[in-house]
Amino acid sequence: MQRYRYLEHTADVRMLVEGSELPSLFSAALEGLNGILRKDSGTLPRQPEEEARVELEAVDETALLVDFLSEVLALSSIRRAVFFQVEFSTLDGRSLYATLHGKRVDGFDEEVKAVTYHEAEVKLTGEGDYRTVIVFDI
Amino acid sequence: MMDLRDLRRIHPYLWEIPAGYREDMRIPCRIFASKEMLEEIVKDRSLEQLVNVSALPGMQKAAYVMPDVHEGYGFPIGGVAAAAWPDGVISPGGIGYDINCGVRLLKTELSHQELQPHLRRLGERLYMAVPSGVGKSGFIKLSKEHLDKVLEKGVPWLADMGYGGEEDIDCIESRGCLENGDPSAVSSHAKGRGIDQLGTLGAGNHFVEIDRITHIYDQETASAFGLFEGQVVIQIHTGSRGLGHQVATDHIKVLLGAMRKYGITVPDRELACAPLTSPEGKEYAGAMAAAANFAWANRQAITFFIRKTWHEVLGDQGGHLSLLYDVAHNIAKVEEHRGEDGVRRKMAVHRKGATRAFGPGHPEVTPRYRNFGQPVIIPGSMGTASYVLAGTESSMELAFGSCCHGAGRQMSRHAAKRAVRGERVRDDLHQQGIQVYSGSMAGLAEEAPMAYKDVDAVVDVVEAAGIAKKVAKLRPILVIKG
Repeated sequence: MQRYRYLEHTADVRMLVEGSELPSLFSAALEGLNGILRKDSGTLPRQPEEEARVELEAVDETALLVDFLSEVLALSSIRRAVFFQVEFSTLDGRSLYATLHGKRVDGFDEEVKAVTYHEAEVKLTGEGDYRTVIVFDI
Repeated sequence: MMDLRDLRRIHPYLWEIPAGYREDMRIPCRIFASKEMLEEIVKDRSLEQLVNVSALPGMQKAAYVMPDVHEGYGFPIGGVAAAAWPDGVISPGGIGYDINCGVRLLKTELSHQELQPHLRRLGERLYMAVPSGVGKSGFIKLSKEHLDKVLEKGVPWLADMGYGGEEDIDCIESRGCLENGDPSAVSSHAKGRGIDQLGTLGAGNHFVEIDRITHIYDQETASAFGLFEGQVVIQIHTGSRGLGHQVATDHIKVLLGAMRKYGITVPDRELACAPLTSPEGKEYAGAMAAAANFAWANRQAITFFIRKTWHEVLGDQGGHLSLLYDVAHNIAKVEEHRGEDGVRRKMAVHRKGATRAFGPGHPEVTPRYRNFGQPVIIPGSMGTASYVLAGTESSMELAFGSCCHGAGRQMSRHAAKRAVRGERVRDDLHQQGIQVYSGSMAGLAEEAPMAYKDVDAVVDVVEAAGIAKKVAKLRPILVIKG
């Protein structure tokens, strides 16, 4: 299971992300970020025109997720691409090694300034799923 | 939600949360607001965030919020707090992701009537000359070496390249350059996000707006500022673009990892901080200053293209566009202020969604305005008034020489889009005589005037509280939005 939905926030975009495992949580969050950058991100042709390697270490799952999204945001902005696919070679609570595949785009619908730690806290639900809120500074 | 009974009324427009409200508070919190505003302010988490700020190491005197406050990350938007220098901390959460987001105001020599016949053509040309919208590239192609020069030297370097002059530099807060700007503390990601964005507005609430002055409150100060009733002026609101956003992201991550080393714990990760004298603190300060220099240079580059367009459309009869002032509203700077004990000392003043408002006689106010106080520019929302204020002596004592920065958001972007369509906003503004140029109708809806607080009420409180005084009121006639 992996899913995301956008919630209310006064100035910015707030998103609830869930996944049955860490990789699905991170993939759902990536999808959610892409959905803000480009409304059509779900229907863009999946042509792998850009590839990027991501290697991150962090103090816990929450920081790792925020740092991962921040890295994707920076790469999307610099390369003008939507990274629609991620392959994790390592993903535990403290480290992430992954390859991103993306499609170049002519622009974005929304300017995401940053992925924040505000309200972010990866927790296990009663059903054993991972869940967190992510707030994007717009 | 904070209970109003936890607040003490100091005077009709100043409230205090005593330092004993929560165990970890080091200083009290003070709120500039009317009672009606306060009843709204307590509905979000602004004041809880302010209390968190008061718990940071080395905080001095009091943590403040302005009447345009709303919930942010780490600090609330509209927050001002000062850390002891050099023993206190620096926190990116007290500055924001858009480092040195700010406003500048250009004065024209024309009246509204004189400009009116040319307005449509001017709007169309300006919309092309100042790239706006998400991730748009600018017309200035910077090499990596030249980007480093902008980061290190800000506006003075750009002026040397032909994009401005000494007259401009003299009317920018800190003369458009923080001297500790350190390009080597700015990551390649940050440089990659910013290298093609000099001279661009961006999206969100950033804009170029042509206004007319509808009322002068203080004739003597207005004359000193070169403002007159009916005059056309131009506001530019933008910041450090992707470069500044990435600097904040990069350094919050570093500081989160470093806090344990310094024995610092914070109630919110977005308040990550480090001692000003620590390698991590110094590195962030250098990167933040570099991003601030980029932001000032960005507003200068936009000024250059506006001047060029103005001349192309109006010729010599358009006259010169001179800079009233350029203020930063997301920044930290070392300044001298009185502590609670009345003794003057250096402090690292964090302003996040708040404007410096130094009073008359302050040595950092350019000599041309020194007898009157620093000009403060308060933009309203698209359809409402904006203000030029002047800093006051009492602001120095009451709020580390600070005041509000705008109207302040009150409605979520989604709620605004649900409430109104962009086309409707454009048509309503048009009926009020305001032309709007925007690449995004959804963006217009998000920035609809109803999404913001009443700027008139915010400015009334600021003046009544004595932290700035009204000089002139502006009404928009043309808006370019990202």
